[in-house]
Amino acid sequence: MREFYWKQHPDGPFVTLIRVATTYLHPEADDLESLQKLARRENDEEMHTFKAELRKAINDPDQLPDDELSKHVRYEDGSPEAFLRRLWRDLYGDEPIDAPEHA
Amino acid sequence: MSVHSETRQLLWVDIPSVSAFDRRSDDLDCDKPAEALSTGEPAKVARHDVPAETRNRGETYADTRQALESGWESKRRFDSPCAELAGFSPERAGLPKTSAEDADRYLEQRGTTRPWLEVARRATPESRRILAAIDQGAGHGHIRHEGWATEEANMRRVAYLEDPAQLDASKRLRSIDGLKPNNRRHICAELATRITDPDAFATAYARGTDQFEVRAALSRPYDRDSRPEPVRVPIAELLGKNGHKHCTGWQLEPVAGSMDAAIENRYAWRTALAKERQPDVPRPVARPVPTFEGGTMLFLIGHNKEQDSYEITNMYPEPRDDGFPRAERPDTGGRPR
Repeated sequence: MREFYWKQHPDGPFVTLIRVATTYLHPEADDLESLQKLARRENDEEMHTFKAELRKAINDPDQLPDDELSKHVRYEDGSPEAFLRRLWRDLYGDEPIDAPEHA
Repeated sequence: MSVHSETRQLLWVDIPSVSAFDRRSDDLDCDKPAEALSTGEPAKVARHDVPAETRNRGETYADTRQALESGWESKRRFDSPCAELAGFSPERAGLPKTSAEDADRYLEQRGTTRPWLEVARRATPESRRILAAIDQGAGHGHIRHEGWATEEANMRRVAYLEDPAQLDASKRLRSIDGLKPNNRRHICAELATRITDPDAFATAYARGTDQFEVRAALSRPYDRDSRPEPVRVPIAELLGKNGHKHCTGWQLEPVAGSMDAAIENRYAWRTALAKERQPDVPRPVARPVPTFEGGTMLFLIGHNKEQDSYEITNMYPEPRDDGFPRAERPDTGGRPR
């Protein structure tokens, strides 16, 4: 049976990034607005993890597990690198990717 | 070929294999028995009470290709569990309370402005009540993934990003979403699928509502900014062992063996047309999903209209995850695949 990455590998790398991105950005969900609101929450532990994984994935996209991100989100950007950088801009604007985490 | 003629051609299904089909269907002599011509005598030909063809060429092509390649039987009806569906509670699914009488009234009043409700007329009264309740909610599964969306509509959706929910034909050709405000561009993954029978759709929805993980997602404390993660349930669990026979779909043809490349190609092609320039990438192509046997039903959970609880905002079938070419990636060094 077709299964989600986070179900198959609950402790796998980038599991929060892939789960949250799928939930909000899968083409049939297409709910960037809600994700933007969540990203603005300062005390949301899951979104802190998401942001840290997004930063890590942008800095080293080869660490992403196989093609799980593209298979789940089906972005149109052509590469995970392009998608992740666009997502960072959509959620965090001009905030530098390399800035240290406050959490 | 100019951009305008390219756009005009989108009105027709014009991949090479279709042309062959179209030529044959245009040949008015093709059904004349050769024996009658050779003898000059009127032939005794049995008359059949065949209903008049109401489909256009594109619809006929897509229906025929789907039937040939996946074995889809368009006349197959789902054996609806009426007593079970009569017990469905719309409120438990975050939908407005709807009685059978409410449903009939709703369908009568809205049927002309919401053409996807037309299929409810051939459903059982129990399924009609469920479909009317769903239509009063915030979800769109029954609009894009039910019998109203034809084979041709799904083929064109996945290939050309034409939204079956867009009722304005000129906007549909320009990939403008039919359900989102402000003329937003329609997006679609690599699949466009549907449940072809309204009773099967209503049954999957009602049973899905009671499935453990869907139930947990619907019952979660409501948060206006967040939504539960999607849930997958085996089609067989919802519709029985032959339930997959009520599902059809179209898949984007991979480009150079890659689905990522196909999606990027489709985006570039669509963008070029939107900017009225000649696309410099191949026209996207779709093919029928061979089978949904062993497949799953995907449930997306989102906000209800009142924004005070969660609702199933989309539901559609997916084939087994074993037929899609993967993008070539470097060795992952033992990480999960």
